[in-house]
Amino acid sequence: MNRTVLIVGIVIVAAIVFILFAGLGKDPAHIDSPLVGRPAPPFSLKAVGTGEMVDIEKLRGKPVVLNFWATWCGPCYEEHPTLVANARNLQPGVQFVGVVFNDDEDKIMRFLAERGTAYPTLLDAQGKTAIAYGVGGVPETFFINPEGKIMAKFEGPLTTEALQAELAKAMR
Amino acid sequence: MIPTLGRFLILASVLVATTGAFIAYAAGSKRSPEGLRWSQRFAYLFAALMLAATGVMEYALITHDFSVEYVSHVGSTQVPLWVTIVSLWSSLEGSILFWGFILGIYIAATTWINRNDHQEYMPYAIGTWLSVGAFFSFLIAGPANPFLTVANPPLDGPGPNPLLQNHLLMIIHPPMLYLGYVGMTIPFGFAIAALLRGRLGQSFLRPLRASLLLPWVFLTIAIMLGGWWAYEVLGWGGYWAWDPVENASLLPWLTATAALHSAIVMERRGVLKGWTVTLVQASFLLTILGTFMTRSGVFNSVHSFTQSSIGPTILIFLAAVLVFSVVLLSFRIDSLEADGKLDSAVSREGMFLVNNLFFVVLTFTVLVGTCFPLIVEAVKGKQMSVGRPYFDAMVVPVGTALLFLIGVGPALPWGKASKKEILRALLPPLITGAIVMAIGLALGVRNVWTVLTLLFGGYAAHVTMAQMWLPFRQRVKRGDAIGPALVDAQLRRGRRRFGGYIVHAGAVIVFVAIAVSSTMRTQQEVTLTRGQSTTFAGYTVTYTGSEERAEPHRQSTIARFNLSKNGAQVTTMEPRMNQYAAMREPIGTPAVYSTITGDYYISIMNLQGDQAGVLIINMPMVGWIWGSVIMMGIGGLIALIPSRRRAYVVSPVPAEAAGDEVPA
Repeated sequence: MNRTVLIVGIVIVAAIVFILFAGLGKDPAHIDSPLVGRPAPPFSLKAVGTGEMVDIEKLRGKPVVLNFWATWCGPCYEEHPTLVANARNLQPGVQFVGVVFNDDEDKIMRFLAERGTAYPTLLDAQGKTAIAYGVGGVPETFFINPEGKIMAKFEGPLTTEALQAELAKAMR
Repeated sequence: MIPTLGRFLILASVLVATTGAFIAYAAGSKRSPEGLRWSQRFAYLFAALMLAATGVMEYALITHDFSVEYVSHVGSTQVPLWVTIVSLWSSLEGSILFWGFILGIYIAATTWINRNDHQEYMPYAIGTWLSVGAFFSFLIAGPANPFLTVANPPLDGPGPNPLLQNHLLMIIHPPMLYLGYVGMTIPFGFAIAALLRGRLGQSFLRPLRASLLLPWVFLTIAIMLGGWWAYEVLGWGGYWAWDPVENASLLPWLTATAALHSAIVMERRGVLKGWTVTLVQASFLLTILGTFMTRSGVFNSVHSFTQSSIGPTILIFLAAVLVFSVVLLSFRIDSLEADGKLDSAVSREGMFLVNNLFFVVLTFTVLVGTCFPLIVEAVKGKQMSVGRPYFDAMVVPVGTALLFLIGVGPALPWGKASKKEILRALLPPLITGAIVMAIGLALGVRNVWTVLTLLFGGYAAHVTMAQMWLPFRQRVKRGDAIGPALVDAQLRRGRRRFGGYIVHAGAVIVFVAIAVSSTMRTQQEVTLTRGQSTTFAGYTVTYTGSEERAEPHRQSTIARFNLSKNGAQVTTMEPRMNQYAAMREPIGTPAVYSTITGDYYISIMNLQGDQAGVLIINMPMVGWIWGSVIMMGIGGLIALIPSRRRAYVVSPVPAEAAGDEVPA
């Protein structure tokens, strides 16, 4: 028996297996946002339809659900009814805000007319707000506490359970 | 009905593979010819069951039988027939079934080819293959069962992943990769057999080498097809991103390439037996690691299947095979060594050793880079990623050194040589190297690594061509007619050697094309209003407008650009932006205009109203990569064709050329 081969081999095997086991069950697509725990980047954008300016800093005092989406995004269609239903239930205690980027105002209007809405939808024409929030894909949702701090970020279409779990972090 | 039949076939294959493996191992330890015949029958039966199960699944897919769970996940009456057929490997469960199907074919074919040969080793080899077969059929029967019944079958399904539907390369790339990956099971079985037997005789090298070379050819082509697809479809202007799963396909390729080289030294000198066996084992283990990477959801990649429960099962299998391999190796490695010894470092065999060292260094570099984010997260709980700079910094120098070896290695004679002989072998190719380098410098190459690549590439091309045609030239010099000399020296007797040097020639071009295309590329990001033009890299690009196109599974915006040179129209290019219903981000498909010197590549960054923001890339020589990798594959196949033993030996060939081998 060759002891060197056995010992070196077992060490390498143990290291590889340990690392792979440690990685199991984690979602590799999930990236911790550096913004969590920081103040929400300020923005002021025009609401689709009404044309009024909405300033995120003026919304302090209650939790904000900030949802980035677009009409060209498949999963956003799936997520929209969940957002609207929860907004109807939770507002005005919680403020819902949608931000659309890389999109046309006409398409957004049509989308909202067909599928309904319950909160302001803002147009991020140059995509600057999406960049400030580090949005990697749509939909992505930020949960902001009453002091204006981002408490959680969710990637992908929200379910009611996920929304409530994440929102709880912003209620404290 | 169909789900029940499928489940029955799979359960039967678990039973057959397990029983067959036991019989085979018992036959091996008892050296029983009767036992060997029975294990051969079980090997054929296993293959037949896998074939039948896959046939049943294809039947269910084609007839849109949505009572089969897998069909209800990936089938759709809306997609063309070819998409329906290839849906077999478009999702997790089906891809494992496809794996079993290919494994069955490999096992049956190898068993049949060696049915009367290598009786000493075959029972252990069959036992090992069937053990692997038992594991995969267990996966299909349990954690990844595609034959579950759907209680209330839907009328239609969603169809397979849209990315698989958008390019024909996607039909060829996955099967090629599976043929490469799964095929590594066969040399692994042979290596285990040699270890269990405690010896590795000269005659057993032939099946070991051939069984390694065939999957190597498939893997080589598969890796290239993947890169080509990314380049043609994903729109970021590259072909290799050091994505974990790309790395996973490269890792077994690296160890298999090293093993093919060390096998030659083993054949010539009777040394490196334990080492070659280790490399063969590593190649198989790395394919299992790669399977784990794509199917466990641990790594983030375009290749990842959705999160699944089979990760832990594969990991347990991987751990078990790793431990088994290491223990077996440590018990038997000493009994394999060594019939001969190495005489000199500056020799052909010395260069083979350096080659192996470099390949192993590359393997570790890529493995560590791929797993490093997992290590950091496991140890420090922090997220990080390892990107291009690490891989480029580590891989470029070693790769360049390998190119140097492709030149120097085959130029050196075997065994001990005098200083004068060595210099006479090494100096002349320098002229070709210098000429190629001078051409590059004249054309504006300034990057140090690319200049070195040109120098070594020219050198290696000279040596490769000289060695490739050496037997032919020797025959002609002796007065043989050109035609017969060509056929006999290159294709009949010297086929392995000839094929090997064709692989080298292809590899040399790949090295040069990668270096040139990545360091000499120029790009420009520009926003054009409709009717506006820009001139870049010799071509004038005019934006002529865009068009929306709706297809069932995607929404596309196609932009049109006119390409002209010196006022003359060249072509129309139509890059597009695709939004797939099931995906979070839109995916651009670039337009590529290829010429012999390079590619002109237009990719849409964004489209708004009359304006189009585009990325234009001019990439010299990139198309050479695809062609020369195919050449490497052809070289491998030429070297693989078994020589008809002694049937055509008309006259003896000078020893130098006859037995002279290159890696193949």
